[in-house]
Amino acid sequence: MCALLEVKNVKKTYKMGKVLVPALRGVTFNVEEGEFLAILGPSGSGKSTLLHTMGGLDRPTEGEVFIDGINLYKLSDNKLAEIRLHKVGFVFQFFNLLPRLTALKNVELPSALAEDSEKESMEKVKKILNLVGLEERSSHRPSELSGGEQQRVAIARALINNPKIILADEPTGNLDTKTGLEIIQLMKKLNKEKKQTFVIITHDQNIAETANRIIYLKDGLIEGIKEAPKEE
Amino acid sequence: MKTSKILAMAWESMTQRKLRTSLTTLGVVIGVTAIIGLASLGEGFRLGIRERMQEGFELDVLIVIPGSFTAALRDPFTRQEVDSVRNVTGVELVAPLITLPDAKLNNQESEKLNAFTVGAVNFSEMTQMVSDRFVPLEGEIPDSEENDTIVLGYKTCFLNETTRLVNVGENVSMTMEVSGFPINKTFKVSAILVKSGTPGITNFDYWAFIPSKTMIQLFGKEAYNILLVKVSDPEKSDQVADAIEDVFENPYSISILVPIAFMRQVDRILNFVQMFLMAIASISLLVAGVGIMNIMTVSVMERTREIGILKAIGAKSRTVLVMFLSEAILTGLIGGLIGVFTGYGSSYALAYMFSSFMQLQQQDTLFPTPEQQRMTINPVFSPEWTMVALVFAILVCIIFGLYPARKAAKLDPLQALRYE
Repeated sequence: MCALLEVKNVKKTYKMGKVLVPALRGVTFNVEEGEFLAILGPSGSGKSTLLHTMGGLDRPTEGEVFIDGINLYKLSDNKLAEIRLHKVGFVFQFFNLLPRLTALKNVELPSALAEDSEKESMEKVKKILNLVGLEERSSHRPSELSGGEQQRVAIARALINNPKIILADEPTGNLDTKTGLEIIQLMKKLNKEKKQTFVIITHDQNIAETANRIIYLKDGLIEGIKEAPKEE
Repeated sequence: MKTSKILAMAWESMTQRKLRTSLTTLGVVIGVTAIIGLASLGEGFRLGIRERMQEGFELDVLIVIPGSFTAALRDPFTRQEVDSVRNVTGVELVAPLITLPDAKLNNQESEKLNAFTVGAVNFSEMTQMVSDRFVPLEGEIPDSEENDTIVLGYKTCFLNETTRLVNVGENVSMTMEVSGFPINKTFKVSAILVKSGTPGITNFDYWAFIPSKTMIQLFGKEAYNILLVKVSDPEKSDQVADAIEDVFENPYSISILVPIAFMRQVDRILNFVQMFLMAIASISLLVAGVGIMNIMTVSVMERTREIGILKAIGAKSRTVLVMFLSEAILTGLIGGLIGVFTGYGSSYALAYMFSSFMQLQQQDTLFPTPEQQRMTINPVFSPEWTMVALVFAILVCIIFGLYPARKAAKLDPLQALRYE
């Protein structure tokens, strides 16, 4: 059986003026369905580049990424957008919510992009806002919400189209420790109860320790992999 | 994404930037107002002129003369020729005239009347031919059979505004030469015609009419100098004129004046002037388009991050393109609709002001123009122009919105997300 997500020898080199800067230098690993994976590394280790490449946001210079058996970078930009819409959910460090839309509208957006009916869309939004504990704050705009609440909205938005995998880029990086932990607990809960696959990127060892597996990344290469002991 | 959702989002985005949206829309409003205003006023002006011309020239009356207008190339028309013209398809009525330019008219005190032309006609034919003009102001138009009566044009009877030369019932003497022999004949004034006012071919203010029967008796022959031909459909005047030419052995020996041809020419000139003005008005809409492009380009820059988010969560380039274009289209549609209202509103206001101004001017003159002859402009509502202006406004917005919308659609999601 093939893994949910396969990263095969992915390399990414950025051009900074005339200088070529390698961000990823050949990364290979798999993500299994229902897994809660953390990628840990210091800043500049290529974590974010790796996450973007895994989610179909950034074409690698070399290598392949498969989601559900689909070779992402053989697809056109439009098809790649469809993958991002239906199979991947993104959670960003700075939440990246649309400031002029309410929490409800922000969560609804991917569903609207997927052309769900208004009724179907609203049912899903209500259910998910309830799941992340934000049903009372749905009519507020991001500027009226706390950091933790904004990140919950972002998680709800990532979940709305029932994606195969959620990729979170430093989801606690912009939150205080307590709120950060709450967000991680929410993700863990979703992972446990909904069998939702998560890949989170962090530079915080404590956050990483909550995962089933940790991939250590340094200078664009995997330095090590640590499996958490199986829960009884 | 569904179109209704895209439009709703575009509308939301526009309403959140009220000042910017109103200013962009204002450009379109001004452009459409100018186009609609000029179109409706221009059309009203054209109709006004057409009405004036219809009053000046009986559009359904062709004038047939022997030879050209400057030289007689042939003898006057005979009775047979007049009858042949009567039989031409499309001819409703023919009134032949014998003109006597050398005839002099004097009143009972031997004062010369202001008659430049004396015409011998059949009175009842003339009444039918030019029913608006051959109307008595005083007296009655006699039966054509009644000999020795005369009908005078309005200005024939006056030396000036205050001095009257002749009244109905009085005698008028006519002197002229026929084949070198002087002829003196007395007529009784039976009617004075209403004032024609409008200068035109069939202005009879300086004419005097005597029965053709009397004239034929004096001449001893029937020789007509002018044929007034009423056609059943003025639009077919050209065909009727051609058919009349065919009646004559040598069609080049006669001239036919087709009043509708003049009108068509004037119409063409007015059309050209109107199109020219509308082209100028359209420039303002193009300027509005440049404004839209400017605002939208700035907007795309400001919303780069938003575009990045949309693309990151799965929006296709086409969706982003349509989102931005929808804003341009909505601007065009709203601006266009408001412009149509303000366009017609301002054209009615301008027409009212113009008419009031003209009335003031006309009241100040020494000889005020009668009420029915005052020039007024009534703006015309044209559904065609309304549609053209609306479509043009939307098209301009699409064309000028396309560049910024494409720019937005082409943004790389990751770079857009990183944009500060």
